Amino acid sequence: MKSENLNPNYVNSRKDSMIGGEDGSSENASSSTRAARPSSFHYSSHMLTVALAKGRMQDEALALLGRAGVEVSGEALASRRLAVEDAEGCYRFVFVKPADVPVYVEHGIADCGVVGRDVLLESEADVLQPLDLGISRCRIVVAAPDGAAAHDYGMLHVATKYPRIAAAHFGARGVPVEIIQLSGSVELAPVLGLADCIVDLVETGQTLADNGLRVVETITESTGRLVVNRASYQLKAVAVARLIKALREVTTAVESKA
Amino acid sequence: MRRCRVTQRSIFMNSLSEIPGGMRYHFGAEARLQRSIEDGCMAVFDGWSYEEIATPSIDYYALFERGMGRQEAQRAFRFTDADGRLLALRPDVTSSVARAAATLFAGRARPLRFCYAASVFRQRSRSHAEWRRESRQAGCELVGAGGRAADIETLLIAAEVLERLGLRSGTRITLNNVEVFNGLSEKLALDTGAREEMRRIIDTRDDSALQEFIRHHTTQVAQGGEWGLARLAGQREVIDEARRLISNPRSRVALDALDELWGVIEQLELTDLFEIDLGDVSGLDYYTGLVFKVYVAGAGSRVGSGGRYDDLTVNFGRREPAVGFVLELDALTEVLMRRAATMEPAQSHESGAPIVEPDGDAAGLFREARQRRAANSRVRIKQRDEG
Repeated sequence: MKSENLNPNYVNSRKDSMIGGEDGSSENASSSTRAARPSSFHYSSHMLTVALAKGRMQDEALALLGRAGVEVSGEALASRRLAVEDAEGCYRFVFVKPADVPVYVEHGIADCGVVGRDVLLESEADVLQPLDLGISRCRIVVAAPDGAAAHDYGMLHVATKYPRIAAAHFGARGVPVEIIQLSGSVELAPVLGLADCIVDLVETGQTLADNGLRVVETITESTGRLVVNRASYQLKAVAVARLIKALREVTTAVESKA
Repeated sequence: MRRCRVTQRSIFMNSLSEIPGGMRYHFGAEARLQRSIEDGCMAVFDGWSYEEIATPSIDYYALFERGMGRQEAQRAFRFTDADGRLLALRPDVTSSVARAAATLFAGRARPLRFCYAASVFRQRSRSHAEWRRESRQAGCELVGAGGRAADIETLLIAAEVLERLGLRSGTRITLNNVEVFNGLSEKLALDTGAREEMRRIIDTRDDSALQEFIRHHTTQVAQGGEWGLARLAGQREVIDEARRLISNPRSRVALDALDELWGVIEQLELTDLFEIDLGDVSGLDYYTGLVFKVYVAGAGSRVGSGGRYDDLTVNFGRREPAVGFVLELDALTEVLMRRAATMEPAQSHESGAPIVEPDGDAAGLFREARQRRAANSRVRIKQRDEG
């Protein structure tokens, strides 16, 4: 879905099928168009579609929403469905890969989303970020093997899942780097000699330590954020404000306790 | 494995069938809809006495750099003229209209009212959702008129277009005045970097970052309660709230102007179409007063924007007030196309009765065709190899 949405040709082909309807199959064509983007027809200013990043973020976000009075039945969650509604019918939650949350929100397919700041920085998505939820707290760091001359940067080979963040970080320091983009197990790259260091998300640092890596510097902190589509923020103002208010109350409660 | 490789090559092979990213064809029902939306816009503009103007598709890059600001202009397609001067494929129309107003129309009585429908080209899009690199815009520019009446005139023209497209119930036009932000920024004595930082924070409604920013940049705690970005959007109460928090004279003047504007909107009973959004702080280097954005249900990003740009024409040797807006015709077409799809199947355009070619008598065939055309009915000539 992600690549389809970002690919301009996707829209071309969608329109193709619509115009194809003129040959007599217009009914089929328009219904297939409808199926392609169902939520576009969802003009209700009451119900919000919220994209949650799957994994730990999803669990913590749902727990936070539960405290804010938004209940999602355990049964619905256990069903492994990718879209579930809350008990009161105010929200529809869709569960997508973290990197896809800003995509859905930026296109307005989802009105809101919960996703880590790391993903937002990397995606450079044009979305509103009204609330830091303080969940899934971790750091984006530069890590290198023990004993490596960390600041002796000549030409650095950096392995990462975050090519933009890494390039911006070293670029700001005037360090020439070659970014090697990986999609997982980034810690392995320095061990096997693919890269001198890595830029990655670190929670406890255990995985780093297990692979003989040490944090050289922290680029930035990352926490779960509430993000909102720009158009939805205006067009579903009441519903969005209600969600922000409910979540703000429970996040500040957590902060003051801590 | 071998087969796999062959498939990959055929997918990525550079061939003539490829279309550059962000470019597309328009045809059939969608092209007709877009044409009718464009015609509708121009009819409304004409109804408010705006004169059509067509600007050059290619112009000197320097024009757009002055007219849009360097950052925006850099998104243009650029190339060089025969003498090496930098050209650009028109990334906006306003710059060119402003130049014409100051030069070509220098002698004409003010105010000048211009409207246009034109394609604009941008090499890099503003966001991932706005993937188009060629887009069609319809817009108005009112040059040589300052003050509230001119602002209201342009707002009402935009509103009328949306009403006539049947979009009134799902439309929200957000209003702000850039001087509210400029006053705050001046009060806090922000340098360029910090000003941009504050602009970005407010633009993304990043409340936690704003609290942090204010703490960092003010010695005395902001008086009169907390700064809450969530409360920056709404109706008249937003202005009252802002007045409670903001005391600097420059921002206060802007708030008064917004208040007066809102008063007129209330009297016209148009408050369902409008909203005040003090968080709209994009395009600060360009606009000098009122700014507005148009949102329509069914479109994930804005479908229009505008505002007052009193400092633009001075670049072309004549300072005068100006206000204008553009509507994104592609986005509007997409919204209306999707709505039409839910209501009824697309109408066939093949309704012209085919004229069958009588054996060999081409003259007879086309005589009849010409007669029907003279009566303004649609004809479709049946060609020999047609089924």
